[in-house]
Amino acid sequence: MKILVVEDNERMARFVTKGLKEAGHTTDHAENGRDGLFLAVSERYDVIIMDRMLPGNIDGLAIIDALRKADNHTPILILSALGDVDERIKGLRAGGDDYLTKPFAFGELLARIDVLSRRRRQDATQTTLEVGDLRIDLLARKVWRGARAIQLQPREFKLLEYLVRHAGQVVTRTMLLENVWDYHFDPETNVVDVHISKLRQKIEVDTEPQLLRTVRNAGYMISAEPPSGAD
Amino acid sequence: MARVIRSSATTLAIGYVLLGFTALVLFAAPLRYAWLATIDDFRVELLQEDSQRLAHVFDLRGPAALASFIDERVNMQIAGERMLLFVDPAGRPLAGNEPAWPRSIPTRAGSYTLPVTINGRQKTVAMVLTALPGGYRLLVGRDVDRFAPIEQRFWYGLAGAVAVLTVAGLIGALLIRRALLARIHGIQQTVAAIMRGDLSHRLEVRSSGDELDTLAQTINRLLEQIEQLVHGIANVSNSIAHDLRTPLAELRSRLEELALTRPPPEEAFAEVDAAVTDVDGVIRIFNALLRLAEIDAGLRRSNFVQTDVTELVAKAAEFYLPAAELKRHTLTFRDPGPVPARCDPVLLAQAINNLIDNSLKFVAAGGHIEIDVVPGEDSVAVVVADDGPGIPEADRPRAAQRFFRGDASRGTPGVGLGLSLVEAIAKLHGGSLVLTDNHPGLRAQMIIGRGAALAAAA
Repeated sequence: MKILVVEDNERMARFVTKGLKEAGHTTDHAENGRDGLFLAVSERYDVIIMDRMLPGNIDGLAIIDALRKADNHTPILILSALGDVDERIKGLRAGGDDYLTKPFAFGELLARIDVLSRRRRQDATQTTLEVGDLRIDLLARKVWRGARAIQLQPREFKLLEYLVRHAGQVVTRTMLLENVWDYHFDPETNVVDVHISKLRQKIEVDTEPQLLRTVRNAGYMISAEPPSGAD
Repeated sequence: MARVIRSSATTLAIGYVLLGFTALVLFAAPLRYAWLATIDDFRVELLQEDSQRLAHVFDLRGPAALASFIDERVNMQIAGERMLLFVDPAGRPLAGNEPAWPRSIPTRAGSYTLPVTINGRQKTVAMVLTALPGGYRLLVGRDVDRFAPIEQRFWYGLAGAVAVLTVAGLIGALLIRRALLARIHGIQQTVAAIMRGDLSHRLEVRSSGDELDTLAQTINRLLEQIEQLVHGIANVSNSIAHDLRTPLAELRSRLEELALTRPPPEEAFAEVDAAVTDVDGVIRIFNALLRLAEIDAGLRRSNFVQTDVTELVAKAAEFYLPAAELKRHTLTFRDPGPVPARCDPVLLAQAINNLIDNSLKFVAAGGHIEIDVVPGEDSVAVVVADDGPGIPEADRPRAAQRFFRGDASRGTPGVGLGLSLVEAIAKLHGGSLVLTDNHPGLRAQMIIGRGAALAAAA
């Protein structure tokens, strides 16, 4: 993927670009809003990572606003030290697609970028989702593993749907909390893990091949293929 | 500053006296006008009656009889201050106390008030001229100046009233000024003390309940809020200084040890991972403190929306159910039906989750956790009761304090901010956190206002 990083802090920018390169992406870096805007409109990117407070007192939101007004719909992840829920809402309203608060775990950033870049390809009219032999009927709200029907609670269904919609991508605990439960805080106990293991018990019975995997230091991923080394 | 206040108090005093004068003038002017008009009318009426009586004599008995009648009256001094003159058609005086028809007086019938020279003295005379049959004319008049003493008395009365008003006004104004300055002085002293940094001072509120008292009460409420905010900030700074120092010190020693001992890569990476976990812990504390500060400052009241509290609690209960089952807890939630309230759903969800999280952490496996929503008239209580170790009565008042960790919480995850956050959120919603004994266990009751109380507080 080609990713633009607009970030004035040199160390932070190096950390992000280096990590992205290691994950197999190509990156451009702009250290101020003017350059960032210029690059964003002159090149095609899969994702833009935008800091909020940039030199010259430019708020990254102003750049996002300018881009959206110019009919540029590149997915944008806002990276900010302003972590308040209100700030988050402000960022998303300005046209950002996701919001991550500094400091952050790199795995979280990577997972979110992955999800953002593929969001555009999602077909909203889809009525069934499939991963391997797991099939979800979104209209009837029913799930099958091969010929076996699986009974799920509404929240379990939502959890599975979110995972399957992002099949092959790492989904972090925070992303699950935000998207499945709409919770914007971290519980002190490992509640999400328990939900996942419960779901796993339902979708992986006996000798059925593993679908839902735990990705160390990052989160979870649902995928039909066994995990490869990279990606 | 002092001069402005003094001059404004003086202005008030002067204004008070001037207002009194204006009122007096406005009162006296129409009175005097009405009084004069009445007297004038009455005087003319008397003169007209007199003229009619004389004209009647003329009609019955002729000019000679009238002349002798008038002369008789003049000689008997009955006329007194009256001016009488009876002339023939040629204008020659036939009778009366005037030697001739005064030149300044018109000859046409009617009533007049004119200055006339009588015996060489200028006088204002009210008079009635009557034209009698055959060209005879009759003049009956009266010296107006005779009423001067009455008018004088009016003026004396008015002057007296002005004097009384001035004295009373000045005394009143001085008293007002003194009282006002005394109270403003009090306010100034209090404000000066507050500016010196002592936020505990409050304005004096008297029992009279007047406007200044209302103002003082409002200012006192303002001061209370400011004091609370300042204390909140001070608390947070203290907490940050105290409780971030410990994990930061740990982190620092870990990194320093790594730098000094240069262990093999495998071991070094494990240490680095541990260091990252340490940092995450610091960030977690930091975030919790920031959120607490934000809640304490009352900044989030703008996010209040109509929300169903039951729905939030039901969702939280459902969220924790698998984790509870894993520890073989019995988690029960009784649904009382929708309980709408005006609240911040994000914060309230966090508070509810913190309470359940707390129970889940402390209750030994196989315990019971009961969650209830108890709607009241204008408040609603979210109750989380467990049969865990509970909190000893002595510790309960401190349980919601920042970073307080009871004996039971040693060795459990968390930083000791959970209940502080719940209490702060309850307070933001015009409520409180009540911790009681569940015999055994802890019964945590978070009470929040449903909106009516908040509307008044906002």
